[in-house]
Amino acid sequence: MRRPGERAWWPYAFAAPTLLIYGLFVLVPVGLTAFFSFTDWDGVRPPTFTGVDNYVRAFGNDLFLLSVGNNIAYSFWFSLLPIGIGLTITSVVARSRLPGSAFFRMASFVPYVLSLVVVGVVWTWLYSPSRGPINQTLRAVGLDGLARPWLGDFDFALPAVGFVGTWVQYGFVTVLMFAGVQKISEDLYEAARLDGASSWQQFRHVTLPGLRNEITVALVFTLIASFRIFDLIFVLTKGTPGNKTYALSFLVYKNAFETHDLGYAAAMVVVLTLIILAISVFVVRFRERGGVDG
Amino acid sequence: MNNHIQAPVRRTLVLLVAAGLLATACSGGAGTASPTRAPSVAPTVAATGTPTAPSSGTPTASSVAPTASPSSAPSATATDAPSASPTEAPSTSASVSPPASPASATYEACASAATAPITLTEWDQEVREGIGPSIDQLEAEFMAANPGVTITRTSKSFDDLKATLLQALQDPSGPDIAQVNQGRPDMGTAVQGGLLVPLTPYLTKYGWDQRWGQGVHARNSFSEDGKTFGQGNVYGVSVTGEVVGLYYNKEKYTALSLSEPKSWDEFMTQLQSIKDAGETPIEFGDQGGGGSIQVYGSILETMLDRKSLDDFIFGNEGASFDTPEATTAAETLLSLVDKGYLTDGYAGIKIDDAAVAFGGGDGVYFWGGSWYGAGLTESGGEKFGFMRTPPQAAGGSALSIGGVGLPWSISKNSKNPECAAALLDYLTGDHAMELVAAKGVLPSHAAANAVGPGDLFNALSAAFGDANGKDEVGHYLDWAFAGGYDTFNAELAKLLAKQSEPAAFAKAIDTAYQEFLGSLK
Repeated sequence: MRRPGERAWWPYAFAAPTLLIYGLFVLVPVGLTAFFSFTDWDGVRPPTFTGVDNYVRAFGNDLFLLSVGNNIAYSFWFSLLPIGIGLTITSVVARSRLPGSAFFRMASFVPYVLSLVVVGVVWTWLYSPSRGPINQTLRAVGLDGLARPWLGDFDFALPAVGFVGTWVQYGFVTVLMFAGVQKISEDLYEAARLDGASSWQQFRHVTLPGLRNEITVALVFTLIASFRIFDLIFVLTKGTPGNKTYALSFLVYKNAFETHDLGYAAAMVVVLTLIILAISVFVVRFRERGGVDG
Repeated sequence: MNNHIQAPVRRTLVLLVAAGLLATACSGGAGTASPTRAPSVAPTVAATGTPTAPSSGTPTASSVAPTASPSSAPSATATDAPSASPTEAPSTSASVSPPASPASATYEACASAATAPITLTEWDQEVREGIGPSIDQLEAEFMAANPGVTITRTSKSFDDLKATLLQALQDPSGPDIAQVNQGRPDMGTAVQGGLLVPLTPYLTKYGWDQRWGQGVHARNSFSEDGKTFGQGNVYGVSVTGEVVGLYYNKEKYTALSLSEPKSWDEFMTQLQSIKDAGETPIEFGDQGGGGSIQVYGSILETMLDRKSLDDFIFGNEGASFDTPEATTAAETLLSLVDKGYLTDGYAGIKIDDAAVAFGGGDGVYFWGGSWYGAGLTESGGEKFGFMRTPPQAAGGSALSIGGVGLPWSISKNSKNPECAAALLDYLTGDHAMELVAAKGVLPSHAAANAVGPGDLFNALSAAFGDANGKDEVGHYLDWAFAGGYDTFNAELAKLLAKQSEPAAFAKAIDTAYQEFLGSLK
């Protein structure tokens, strides 16, 4: 007989297979990565324990710091800008029953579904200096001065990569917001209108609070994406020109698979992990305290 | 309205985060769907789906004769079964693919296979036109001539091979034979870990010391402890050869009444006259790196003698990159930009796309490796010529970047190293050289009867032979230190974009270089 408060063991039996797989393929690798981050290891000879050397080395390395800075810059393009665009589109379009809005929603979601490698290849072509449509259009309308080798330009390469990120993410954010806005009761808008609220006030005090959960989810997803950015950089720039477009995950790849400096790469990945964890916790906590217009 | 994200949602978020981290931690392949090679040399897939030639890239990848042909798409992993059934008796296989010289394919070292079958597992990255099928054919011939020997071939992209090989070599059931990337990061690490069989005994046994000069063997040599590069034991032999130089458009040569320049000054005068005639003197691209490093290296190596280049590459005592030549070469490269001799907007064009544009008729010159030859041959080989980078003074000597393709090595874990060495001998023998040459691939040593499929190939072959014969085959600069390829690309991009100065450039490379040398001690 089970006493009150005693827990049954059998639910865990059902969860066991999943937990086993999770442990084997998530917890164990994560643990090993953390372990190797304290060693000097080339993947061939036995690792030698070096304490926090790898971390000291990372934080004293310009390229590492540059990459972290770039990731922060990417988070504007991959996260904040798409959310801004998503909210704008939603507030303008979502509640008006325009014909073709279903098509629009679908179309804006397409970039998010595409493989980032495909996206990268397409944008490489769009950005092409002489044959790319972007520069050709600029030249056709007489804006020759603005045409430039986008991905090879020291000042514009990062924004050019970032813009592709915005293009990929805004559809996802928009669809999320569209879904969210559907469940806001029409009564609230009606009440607001009766009280004489302008459309901006309706957006500010009805739509925005109603979308808090969606915004949180969008923030977490897109911020994580902006710190994990790898594919696009790999295809578009490989961190060039100079090191202008490096991101952490790309730097990790370089060190792990090209120079076989696995301990150092592991240390950087641990830092990346902690950054993402911190961001996620911060966003969720912020939301819980009702930070977004609570 | 609930003011809190419910616990399940929060937990989901946490899980998502964890999953994200995992993906990042394993980002080697997980994040990238593209079967590209290691970043430094990734053959990018063009928008058309046409694989572009490999970035002139590293020495490493260059062994492959990349073509711009759609048919040679770099497959992620292709396991090619040999065309002849491995275990068949010689009589049967003769009909499958008649070996040109069947007798020479039979090796004493594999004779025991007749009673106790031998399986050789082989990993390579020869996935492209020309060389890929050549290896298949050679292995089939080898199996036919050596009863009981089975070769299991696995071809991967350069990228995949590089990322997995060091682990696979530690596996007792891993490959017997594999292509190991030259230089310290790969071959050096493998030697340090005791993963490779020294091939030095076979130099005399099979006459490999006659096949290649000491300069070529040095590239595949390390000391026993793996710390000294360029001397000690030989750990690999190469099937293909390569040379970096100037391709030129023959039609434009005729239209502009040009001929191959004999000296650097003559070359510069030509470039100006080409520009005055309204043509692009040098078709060029450097987006993502890979273009400027070969051009810079080509210029620099015309200014260096053999010893000073070797000292730098092999990290000999007192070696430095902060030299007057390094600065002068940087100034020269910069002057090509300042005078407008390079393609407009080159910073946004990939070098491989520049090669394709050159094949389509853009530009008069294109600076690149022999690995672009097969692609250009397809664009009309008779239209293009090839020459070594001209020496500083007419008639003077100059080094040309080049060497041999990714070397083939034998794993310490191989149970049949003798028979494996026999296969290496066959893959690099005269018959093999004739075979790859006939398919348009530059062979690693000049075999008497090696005849290629066209003018451009013959020009490449002549340039390689010339450099080899005069012991003027230079090195890829990035071999000198781990991360060298990226460092050169980054610093050269800064130089060309006026974010740096020639002297500062030389200093920056030297700093990274010295740091690396220091870490070896």
